[in-house]
Parts: sequence; C-alpha cells; structure tokens
Amino acid sequence: MEVTATAGARVLADDPASLRARISLRDFASIAVQLVLLLLLLRQFQIEGTAFVQLSAVVFAAFAVHAFLPLRWRLPFFGGLGLLSIPMVLGVTNGAWLVGIGFVLIGICHLPLSARLRTALLLLAGALLIAMRAKLLPVPWSEAIWPILGSMFMFRLIAYFYDLRHDKQPVTPAQSVSYFFMAPNACFPLFPVIDFKTFRRSHYAADAHATYQRGVSWMARGVVHLILYRYVYYHLTLAPAEVDTPAELSQYMVSNFLLYLRVSGLFHLVVGMLMLFGFCLPETHKQWLMASSFTDFWRRINIYWKDFMQKIFYFPAVMALKRFGTTNAITLATLYVFVLTWFLHSYQWFWLRGSWLFVPQDILFWTLLGVLVVVNSLIEIKHGRNRRALGKPSWSWRRLATTVGKTYLTFWFICILWSFWTAESVRDWLALWSGLNGALTPQALLFPAVILAVVLAGAAVEMRTSVRPAGGAARQLTLERATTVAWLAALVLISVEGVHTRLGGEVATFVHSLRSGHLSRLDNAKLERGYYEGLMSVNRFNSQLWEVYSKKTDNWLAGQGAGLKRFVDGFAQYELIPSFASSTPYGTVTMNRWGLRDQDYAPQRPADTLRVAVLGASSVMGWGVGDGQTFEALVEERLNTQSPAVPFKRFELLNFGVPGYQPPQQLMAFQRALKLQPNAVFFVATGRESSRSASYLAEAVHKQLPMPIPQLQRILEKAGVTPGMEQAAALKLLLPHAEEILSAVYASIGRDAARSAIKAVWVFLPQVREGSWQEETPAALRAARDAGFEIVDLGDVYRGRDIATIRLAEWDDHPNGLGHRLVAERLYSELAARAATLLAPPAPLSTVEATTK
Amino acid sequence: MSQAIMQSIKDYIMGEFLPGEDPAELTPTTPLISGGILDSIATLKLVMFVEETYGVNFEPHEVDKENFDTLDAIVTLLRSKISTVAP
Repeated sequence: MEVTATAGARVLADDPASLRARISLRDFASIAVQLVLLLLLLRQFQIEGTAFVQLSAVVFAAFAVHAFLPLRWRLPFFGGLGLLSIPMVLGVTNGAWLVGIGFVLIGICHLPLSARLRTALLLLAGALLIAMRAKLLPVPWSEAIWPILGSMFMFRLIAYFYDLRHDKQPVTPAQSVSYFFMAPNACFPLFPVIDFKTFRRSHYAADAHATYQRGVSWMARGVVHLILYRYVYYHLTLAPAEVDTPAELSQYMVSNFLLYLRVSGLFHLVVGMLMLFGFCLPETHKQWLMASSFTDFWRRINIYWKDFMQKIFYFPAVMALKRFGTTNAITLATLYVFVLTWFLHSYQWFWLRGSWLFVPQDILFWTLLGVLVVVNSLIEIKHGRNRRALGKPSWSWRRLATTVGKTYLTFWFICILWSFWTAESVRDWLALWSGLNGALTPQALLFPAVILAVVLAGAAVEMRTSVRPAGGAARQLTLERATTVAWLAALVLISVEGVHTRLGGEVATFVHSLRSGHLSRLDNAKLERGYYEGLMSVNRFNSQLWEVYSKKTDNWLAGQGAGLKRFVDGFAQYELIPSFASSTPYGTVTMNRWGLRDQDYAPQRPADTLRVAVLGASSVMGWGVGDGQTFEALVEERLNTQSPAVPFKRFELLNFGVPGYQPPQQLMAFQRALKLQPNAVFFVATGRESSRSASYLAEAVHKQLPMPIPQLQRILEKAGVTPGMEQAAALKLLLPHAEEILSAVYASIGRDAARSAIKAVWVFLPQVREGSWQEETPAALRAARDAGFEIVDLGDVYRGRDIATIRLAEWDDHPNGLGHRLVAERLYSELAARAATLLAPPAPLSTVEATTK
Repeated sequence: MSQAIMQSIKDYIMGEFLPGEDPAELTPTTPLISGGILDSIATLKLVMFVEETYGVNFEPHEVDKENFDTLDAIVTLLRSKISTVAP
C-alpha cells in the first residue's frame, strides 16, 4: 500500500475518503482569505453579537488546524472543539452540567438493553428533565443551560436513537460527541435539526475544497440574509395599530413574513460553519420565497425540519397505513405530521422558554396549512407535479407566466397565513383588516410591485437552472468563489465608516443602522411596555426580543412581582398593597400604611414642611432597587441634610409611584395624594406620554371603566369610540387624539393643584436607553407648561453612560442603583438651583381664577 | 436481471414523473431525490410500485436518500430484498 505525506499528515493514498479530505495549500489559502473577509464582516455588522463573533474566530482558527490533520483525527478534533465551546459560552460549571447531562442521555441510547427498555429509560430521563425545566424539581445549574441543552437534544436525540436502531453502521464515540455538541450550537438556541445519518455519512463524502467553499458561500449568504433581515426589522415592520391604509397593510404582511430571513440566515451560517469541518450537508432552505404551492413551500422552507418529520413520522405512518390505499395513507399521514408539528413546536417552546405554548393561532395555523398541503398533495397524486426536468428546463413565456402567477399568489397567501400565526391574538389579526378601509394611495402598489419583480426574476433564474450544472464542477466552484468574494468584499467595503459616510448622510445613516444588532423600535416598545406594565408579551417567533427575554430568569424579581399590587374598582384598576413587605435580590421592598413604597408619614402635613407627592410609574416606585435607594428617597434625604434656602425646615417626598401606571392613571393617584395634604406635586413623566395615554384609554374603553374626568369622555365621543369596543380598534381611533388626551390629564392635575395651592412640577425622566421614546417629549413638555406645571427636564441625566452600567438587566431597562443615584443627584441640583421657584408653594388662587383656569 | 429491474424502474420514473424528457438523460447515477426529481410523494409512489411489482416490502427507515437517490441504489436495495425473499 502506497503511503504519501501531505502537509505533515500521512494519508493512505488508496483510501478515497482520505483523498477527498486533502486540500492543496493554494486552495486552502483561497478559503482562508474568504474566512478573514467573513470574520471582518461579522465584526463590522456585529452579526449575532460579540460572543458569536468571538466563537467564529475560534472556529475559523480551528478550521486551519483541522484541514491539515490526518483524517482519523478530524472528527475527534471537531467533537473536542464542540465540547470546548460550551464552557466558553456558558461558563465551566454550567458547561460541565450540560455535557454531563448530555453524556447520560447518549449513554442510555447505548445501554446493552432491548430497544423497548432503552426507549422507556429515555422517556423517563426526558420526564425528569421536563419536571426540572418546569421547576417541579430543584436543579443545581443555571437556567441559562436549558435553551442550549434543549436545542442539542430535544430533536437530535430522537433522530440519533432512530438511526442507532436502524442503521447497521456502528457509531463511534467521536461521531456521537460531534453530533450532539456541535461547535456553533452553544451560541444558537435555534438550530437546524440535523439528521444523524446524513451528518455522519456526509463527513468528507465530497471533495474537501468544494465542501469548504460551499460552506463559506453559505455563510456569506447567511450574513446577507441577516443584513436584509435587519433592514426589514428596523425599517419596514409596523405594529398592528399602525396599519390604517391598504399600503400599510401590504407592508405589514410582507415585512412580517420576511422576518423569517433571520432563521434562514442563521441556519445558513450554522450549516456553512459545519461544512468547514468536512460535513457535506444539504441545503437548509431553498429559495423559499419562490414556492409555487403549499407543498412546495413545505419542501423549500426549513428543509431539515421537513426531512426530520418525513423520516421519523411521515414515512412510517404511510407505510403503516398503505393497506388503506396510497392516497388515503398519504392524506392521513400528512395530517398526522402537521398535528405533530404543532405539538413539537410547543415542545420546542417548552425547552427554550420553560412554558408550554398552546394558543389558538398555532392550532389554526397548522391545521389550515396541513389541510392546504393535503389538498395540494392530492392534486399532485392525481395530476403529477410540474417543473421536474432532467436537463435544462424548456423555456417559454407561457411557462414563466404560469410559474410567476402561482408563486405570486402563494406568496401572498402565505403572508396572510403568517400574519395570522404571528399575531398576538385572533382579535388583533382581525383588527388589522380595517386597514383596507383607509385611503387608497399609489403607495399601495409598492410592495405588490416589488414582490412581483422579485418573483419574476426568481422564476426566470430557476427556469434556467438545470438539475446538473453546466460547465462541470470546477467551473461551478470558481463561479461560487468569485460570487462569494465579490459579496464579502462589497459588504466589508460599504461597512467601513470612511466609505459609507462619503455616500451622503442618508446612505451613511442607513448603513450605520444595519451595522448593529439591536431591538427594533417595535420590540423596544414591547420591552418598555413590559417595563411599564410588568407584562411580558413577547412575539412567539423570530423575534430578537424573544432572545433577550430568553436570557431572563423566570423568577426575575419574583418577590417584587408577587402580591405587590391589588385590584381596585374604578379607572386606576390597581394600586400597591398597604403595609406589604417583600425581599428581592436587590433589597427589601416595603409599602407603608398608605400603600406607598416609602417610610411612614403622618396623615397631617407637619408645620414648616414641604410635602411633595411624587407621581410616576415603576422608575419612581423603584423597581429593582431596595428601600431607601430610590431617587425619591435619596433626594428627600439630601434636601433634609443640605436644605436649600427656602422657608421650610423639613422636606417630605411621598413616593406615589406605581409600576405600570400610565399618565391617565395618575389622575387617580393624585386624588389619593390630596388626602395626605401635599403642598407640591412632582409629576414624573417619561417617554411617549401621549401614545401611552391613548393606549390606556383604549384599554379602559374595552373594559368599560368609568372615565375620571368629563374631558376624557368628550374625547372618546369625538373619536367615535364606544364602550366595550375592541382595544385595537379603539386605539386606532384614539391615537390621532393622543396629545389631546394627555393635555386633558395634565390640565386636570394642574387645575386641581392650583385650587389646592399645590406647586405643580413636571419632571421629565428619560429612558435609560439614550434617545429612545423621545419623539413625543416636546409636545408633552408644551402640554405640561400649558397646564401650569413648572418644568424640570432631566433629559440628559444618563448622557454618555454605558447603558449596561445603569440598567437592571438586558431584558429590564429600569434604572439600577447607580441609575437612581444619578437621577437623585441631578434632580437635587435642579431643585437647589431653582429652589425659589420649585420649592415654594404658590399663592392660593382666588375662586374666580381657579374656575376659569 | 439487474438490467431488467433497472429498466422497469426507469420506465416507471420516466412515465410517471418525467414525461417528455429524454430517457438517455436518466442514467443509473442521476440524483433523483437530491436532484429534485423525487419528492416525498413521488418517492412513496415509487416505493409502492416497486413493492407491488416485485412482491417485496420496504421498511420505513429504508425509504431514504441513501437507498432511493439513484437507480443504482434502488436496484441494489431491491436485489438484496429479492435475494432475501427468494426460496
């Protein structure tokens, strides 16, 4: 047997696999250059965050070593890399737990017992892990490992055990470790369901250089998808309440569906990375926008999932049912697969998020898609499927027109289905369609026209593509490399600040917006809605917000959340529970007898005291900081120790902050405050005061709550809102009156304060995320001034601070202890500097003035 | 025998899934599943045809790309089945 040496590795010359695994230095250099470009691109666009960019650097470096190892060492090397990546991302202790659990599960599959017994043991282990995930049993590891453990084992263990039972080829430990602990998996809870048989059979099943090149090309394609996704996510998505016209409806539908680019982008990245280690894997997605029927859509989108379902459930079901006839068997098996897909989607959600997902949209979506695929399948069984060709497909205008027509209709139908699936509720989805009643403008043609152009171009390209590429593999490889290098170089170039800033302000701003991964304005709104409402309503699919929340521990500030509020009749709906105390990781949260998060105060205001009622939401109440650490408490302490020159000996700041309170609810808080005889009120406002006021009013209308002031009732009537109306519909009608609503709220508080000789001060406290939610601030400020408030603008209080140092957590933008200290410092400075204005009670108004004001 | 089996399967594929195409283009190594000629429904129809024609039964796990991606692979699997059931 002849033995040759290549780059220090001895390979058996007559072993085809070893020959396929070799790569010349020249070819290696061409791959390496592309990987350097790719790494630059990942860094420039901050693709999937710093951890992924760092992991990519490690993986690309590992590729350079791996490519020159003897073939028999490559799989163990890849497995070792995967094992190493886990503690890199999760830490040593958590990583060790994850690997340990994984080895136990793999070990069960290999026990020398009957398949039935091993299945029972696996089910038992699964049930135990489910109980732990559901917190029925305590666990010694961090919750952070669940999504990754789930993504590694929830489906792959099924595919692995299936092949272990049926595939006659023995499984090596290196194959097992490599399969479950694939290197990129530690960064991706959403990971393609790779088939075990395909995984191991594909290892250097094709020429190494071609496999590596395809991997790089797919990674580049993945990055392009992710950049396109950012464009859609940041610039095109609309909230359902923003859909008022046919143009906006079509934009909503298209952008909502195109958010799927994130999944296809990530899967391309993941699979491309695996190909760098010799796995010649199939495509994960195949031009999914070009589906010309529902069965075609199912075959093109998330192909790995389709293959998994087909292998494990569909084929066994058809074979078991074939005695009822092929057509019946296929029909029943298809429906069975869609029911299972719905269930497994919930199962996946459970491992990733820790709760089961059973919502009507899910059930209806999968049922409808299942029925549509069955109908399509029956048509295909009866009439066959078009577009199969051995060579280059025949070109004709008629064929192109038919393909374009079918693809275009399928696209829009899928968009509608998708909007239904991803809607927060069926009611929200139905409310979307009122957009059809809006003004029909030429913009309504924009998205239909763009999609038509894309479909036309795609169909023309597909029709020209044959099953076997013309020109041979070498030409194909050269073309693929040239295209990839061109894309990578162009994107790297445009990402350089010195380049895109020369293309004009608009282009520079646009490119800059795509260069960083952050939440869109809509997801930020949701995040901050959680901030105000204490609710965690998160889109179930493909949302970056979902990923931010997936890092949030389930018991996040549980002590504060549980039992903090009590429901009350009337417009405010809830308030803090008097004399309540709870301990949190951030300190004790104590409510006094008046239901204020504060020390106790006498009902009568003491003499020579300035008693200030501080109205606000959770940031005032001090969500996430202990007693005495709120800015309100700090300012009170400072005023009493370093008293400004005002005619008061004592200062009492009463914390009327209630988490989730919106501006209209402060009307009720102010009425409560009046009972404690304040001589000043600080209304702490924050971003989007007007639209949040409109949202709350829409909620109040839906719940048929009584309006606290006649001015609000009049606005409702003017807007055409009726009691009990759907919230989404009411919001659409109220949003145009948002500023009017806020003005009415401010005016009411300002008027009542003036009547009671209470100094009214409007304090603007921005979000910790600098610049967010500021678009309504000038109007809110004007409304406050018109209502007679003195203005204290703390808009720059967090300026120049790294958000990570002043907020509670990535998923919780409340100010932390440092944030509160900054606010307290700044507020005290303002009060001290303008003490004569801000800390002096106004002269009582005459009765005439008070009524006419 | 293998030639006859291959021809029969080829005829079925040409008639059922590739009408109007040039039979010479369908070689023993033409990728059927990975080349998009056989999707899941077409694969199942082919399985049923082979089972009925040759009196064999395929296990669900045998219906995959490894065994059905080329005419060569199909014939190899079928021959192993026939030799197992033959007296």
